[in-house]
Amino acid sequence: MEEAKKGISEDWLAVWIGLFIFVVSLGAFAGTDILNWGVTTGVWTDISKALKPISAAWLGGFGSLLLTYVVLLVIMTIGAAALKADIKKFIIGFTVVFWISYFCWMLGSWANIAVTTAPDMKKFGIAWSLKLTAEAGFIIALLVGLFFGNFVPALGNWIKEAVRPELYIKTAIVILGGSLGLMAAEKLGLATAVMFRGLCAIVEAYLIYWALVYFIARKYFKFSREWAAPLASGISICGVSAAIATGGAIKARPVVPIMVSSLVVIFAVVELVILPFFAETFLWKEPMVAGAWMGLAVKTDGAAVAAGAVTEGLILGKNAAEGIMYSPEWIKNAAAVVKVFIDVFIGVWAFVLAIIWCSVIECKPGEKVRPGQIWDRFPKFVIGYVLTFLIILLVCLPASKALTAMGGKVGPLQKQIAAQETQLTALNKQIADEETQLGNLRVKEKKAIAALKKQIGDDKVAAASLADKIAKDKAELAPLNDLLKAPKATMAAARASTGEANVFRGIFFVMTFFTIGLVSNFKKLWEEGIGRLAAVYVISLFGFIIWIGLIISWIFFHGVKPPLAG
Amino acid sequence: MAEQPKLSEELKKMEWEPLLPVEKKLISYSLILGTVLLGILVWVSYTFFPTGH
Repeated sequence: MEEAKKGISEDWLAVWIGLFIFVVSLGAFAGTDILNWGVTTGVWTDISKALKPISAAWLGGFGSLLLTYVVLLVIMTIGAAALKADIKKFIIGFTVVFWISYFCWMLGSWANIAVTTAPDMKKFGIAWSLKLTAEAGFIIALLVGLFFGNFVPALGNWIKEAVRPELYIKTAIVILGGSLGLMAAEKLGLATAVMFRGLCAIVEAYLIYWALVYFIARKYFKFSREWAAPLASGISICGVSAAIATGGAIKARPVVPIMVSSLVVIFAVVELVILPFFAETFLWKEPMVAGAWMGLAVKTDGAAVAAGAVTEGLILGKNAAEGIMYSPEWIKNAAAVVKVFIDVFIGVWAFVLAIIWCSVIECKPGEKVRPGQIWDRFPKFVIGYVLTFLIILLVCLPASKALTAMGGKVGPLQKQIAAQETQLTALNKQIADEETQLGNLRVKEKKAIAALKKQIGDDKVAAASLADKIAKDKAELAPLNDLLKAPKATMAAARASTGEANVFRGIFFVMTFFTIGLVSNFKKLWEEGIGRLAAVYVISLFGFIIWIGLIISWIFFHGVKPPLAG
Repeated sequence: MAEQPKLSEELKKMEWEPLLPVEKKLISYSLILGTVLLGILVWVSYTFFPTGH
């Protein structure tokens, strides 16, 4: 809220930073890997081999990490200037956030933590593994953040200019839109189902959860309307921003949504730590159900998308151990789509509540309901998410359709040619055998010689005819293959582009985890009076929110699997 | 700088307000509308976009 009074909002900044990284990554379409210096972390047993650049091998692992830090520092510092933050403090803070977060990520990629399959354990020469996948780095970052946030609060205070989990996650979500676009182009049916799940999430969160939480808070916990409405929004919709928007809509005192928000943030962390492991245990055979469920059950953007990322890592790891290799990104995107759909309606909801409050409940003196507040409260980062999604989808959909359509012709033709070639090889071998047999026959075996000669003649005719057919099929295939070249190149460029951008998305993710930990002050739970608020949260969350969310996710996605990798 | 208000004090200040009939009505409408819309969305998704299921 504070930054909105000064420079641009974190929402808009996330859009610009995310779009900048996305646009630069589009260089892949022009054959230029502009971001090829970005650092990636592989699973390691020797830490000196953990890091490597995307493709600029000359930089070396540490060189690419250093360059990634410097470039991100420059971009984020420009952003901090736009936010009108204290630049000097931001530079120090970002440096601490970046290096601690990246170190946690590297630690999570240690083979004994990350490796999930027996062949990989053999490959790395290790006898045991926690099998948590490389996403364990996120959990480590969260735990380290929680440690500093609760036991060394001075650190969090010192670097607070750069402790901006919402900025980091929203930037990551803008970049994530490109991945969703690529996935939608490749599997439109499944992507559409994910989006329908998002629509259902809106109905669930706003019309069902909100009403139930409000009722419980009012009827059984005797909260006043001023407290019950922001509490219902915080618990059922989207944590902090929904509580604040609702507080504004019903003209609650600012202190009410702020107090509610502080509780929501703490519970979101608890959910983030528990629910992904719960999903791994009980929903590992239903990956899409788990992803959509995370987007709905875990509150706050950061924690929800982060929970989707951890759930994806855990479930893909568990399936990999069983020999099933699913494509990444689907679970994470299911969580993100559900969360983004919910976010989009916060402004509309605040507007509707303001009208209801003013017309049938209580209208404060001088209160006016402005439709403009729908836009004021619209989460602007969604614009970036939709843009990156649409750009990649519009570029890739025709290519993907062409590949599917021509794949229908090319595939059978290729199979036919392969079968004919096998047949021809067999026929040629048969002719060679027959000729050998002919050479071994004695001159007086005239009848047999004549029959064999006839047979060889017939076989040669058949071979010539087959060769002719193969040549014709190949002639038919050649122009089709030429037509496939462009769409194949487009899809390859899209994969390269989103792959490069995703390297930076991963860094924003891990910084989100660390900073969420830093801002989660669990001492709040000991504050007098919190029990009553927390009781409504616990009863609502564990009483119906997670179960209704699970049932609807199940109805949508049971039996639906992400595409297999490769 | 003004001291931050304490949660316990704020909660003590809160006065009890009975649940108005209009609030009950709005809660009921919201739940009914939500359930109906969910049913419609699930039906539309299964009927018109079956490939995802």
